Amino acid sequence: MNIEETKELREFVFKITILGDAAVGKTSLISQFVESSFQEDYKPTLGANIVRKDVILDKTRVRLIMWDLAGQEKYRVVRSMYFQGCEGALLVYDVTRYHTLDSINSKWLRDFKKHVRKKGAYILIGNKIDLKDQRVIPTERGKELATKIKASHFIETSAKLGENIEEAFFLLVNQILSNHGVSI
Amino acid sequence: MIGDYKGTVKNKVVVALLQAYHDILDYDGMKSILREAEMMYIKDVRDENPNDSIDFFSFKKIISAQNCLLYDSSDLLFEIGKKFSFYLFPFGKSFEEIIDEINSSIITNWRVNIIKNNENEIILQVHRCIFCSEIGVPCDLLKGFLVHSLQKSLPSEYRLTYERDKEDVNDPNHNSFIAKLKIEKY
Repeated sequence: MNIEETKELREFVFKITILGDAAVGKTSLISQFVESSFQEDYKPTLGANIVRKDVILDKTRVRLIMWDLAGQEKYRVVRSMYFQGCEGALLVYDVTRYHTLDSINSKWLRDFKKHVRKKGAYILIGNKIDLKDQRVIPTERGKELATKIKASHFIETSAKLGENIEEAFFLLVNQILSNHGVSI
Repeated sequence: MIGDYKGTVKNKVVVALLQAYHDILDYDGMKSILREAEMMYIKDVRDENPNDSIDFFSFKKIISAQNCLLYDSSDLLFEIGKKFSFYLFPFGKSFEEIIDEINSSIITNWRVNIIKNNENEIILQVHRCIFCSEIGVPCDLLKGFLVHSLQKSLPSEYRLTYERDKEDVNDPNHNSFIAKLKIEKY
């Protein structure tokens, strides 16, 4: 973390990661947050998709470096390096596929805790709520898991419609700031 | 990016760097850096003549984007530096030849000089390193480059350690420094 404190504006750089099974919408969440855009066609991420966004919250400027990580086994050797300096994670599941919720605790949170040694913030996201007819995971199940894994927040999103996207990222940023003793 | 960015960089340097990104961060990682640098058009540079050059300002945009996105990722930068050496000098070259060639392939106001060279250590003077000129950026890429460049010319029973004077990344002149490569037999 880098802090420059002036009378006017405090400045931080936070590296965060977005984790979850393939095709839960990790890249789409970032695209919607950064560019307000959504791609209908699915292209799996190869390696690490890294995106920067500068945001201002109250009198605090935060540069977010977002690492959208592919989960393929071939990256096992360098994977721990991808997490170096990471301050927080968005743990994402797809509300239309049950196994993506199961993977959060069994795989992605474990991955995050294994590689991020310092106290990291993480929130749980249920994505694709626009697919109402295909939904199989009720909101309550997400809330239960968030409580069980001690996620700081739980939120449901639609990367396609742009619903709750900024809120999700800002919840995580606020939690990281809070971990550093800064309140907005 | 504030500063004077005059000079040229040979295409083979850019190709080696992009290949290093590709190896460590895969295709989307390489694309992320080029997108941040607004240099996506250069991803096909490998099809160009390797001894032609791009302007140094364009090259510096790539390095600045790399340092922005790989913030606090010193281990990755070190690995990228090693791969950069591997791809730039795939065939047997001495360490001295490698240093000469990196100086002549990146022509701008920078220099890496060997100031002492014996069987136990090599001491280098790095003047205005182009890979870490930004405040707050440690020089892990050049470290990886130097370590790999020397390591590959040593027999396997030799161990290499890298030392440098204490680095204060908030000092605007932190990219000029003395580095020592110590060679020890197991």
